[in-house]
Amino acid sequence: MPEVLTATTRRVFKIDINAPIEAVWKEITRTDAPILCFFNNRMSLSRGGLVPGSKIAMRSPDGKWTGVVGTIFVCEPPHRFGHTFRFTNLDDPECKVIYELKPGKSGGTEFTLIVEDLAVGTKTAKQMTDGGTMIINTLKSVMETGKATFGMRCLFGMIKVLGPVMTPKVCRSENWPVD
Amino acid sequence: MKDAALDRVFSALSSPKRRRMLDILQERSGITIADLAASFRMTPVGVLKHVKLLEKAGLLITRREGRVRRLYFNAVPIQLIYDRWTDRYSGFWTARMADLKERLESPGARRAGTDGNPSVDSTDASESQVTSQTERTRRRA
Repeated sequence: MPEVLTATTRRVFKIDINAPIEAVWKEITRTDAPILCFFNNRMSLSRGGLVPGSKIAMRSPDGKWTGVVGTIFVCEPPHRFGHTFRFTNLDDPECKVIYELKPGKSGGTEFTLIVEDLAVGTKTAKQMTDGGTMIINTLKSVMETGKATFGMRCLFGMIKVLGPVMTPKVCRSENWPVD
Repeated sequence: MKDAALDRVFSALSSPKRRRMLDILQERSGITIADLAASFRMTPVGVLKHVKLLEKAGLLITRREGRVRRLYFNAVPIQLIYDRWTDRYSGFWTARMADLKERLESPGARRAGTDGNPSVDSTDASESQVTSQTERTRRRA
């Protein structure tokens, strides 16, 4: 059977955050509370924990819904964290998400989000292109002020109210175990 | 975003050529300096001057991948400017009005407007619709 070639693209987002690299790393890899910059989702990992090969799932704060699943392929604390990425409500091909952290000026962090293998023209490509700036701007706001921007807090409120009504059943967490 | 950073962004965006470069980078993410130069019939050295300005403003990211340097558009500074002056509520309406303006002023819409009613310029039509949209927004607020 001939291989189907899909045009893919890469998107890169970068920001300087006025917070130590270790604190930023801790924020993007925490599993004890929802991560505000990931649209207030909670990260669930398979038993192996934060190591390459572990499965990852981004679940709603109450754990009932799963929006994103993937597998970790790189984890080099506190500099590089990457996993495959797939929206559970879409049939689009998987892409890759990589977070790169470098020590920045005066104790800050140079934070880069790279999204690779985005299939051109898919909903995933559009959502990741639009969402990339929101993710890293929210991360900056959380690290520098302790809270998400006003706009994002409104969005979290809307998701909390409308999520259970609007989210398709395929996204129920029982359909996306990590172990 | 500090004033010095804001100045760098606005200064970088003040050149039509650099704005066009960002358009190209948005469409063709990860192209090389040589590719970008070819789009402008400029030498890579000539383009490099603009690339450095865009990079300094944070609007462009260069990454060395193997032996080539690839260029990526970074929308983050623009989002930060947007966030500074726009809240969720006004963002909703401005996005709708911008969509409406774009739709009505596209070449297809202009043709349809002229064919359907030769006496009405579609630009005027779009402006009047945008105005009425503003009016509705004001009344709801």
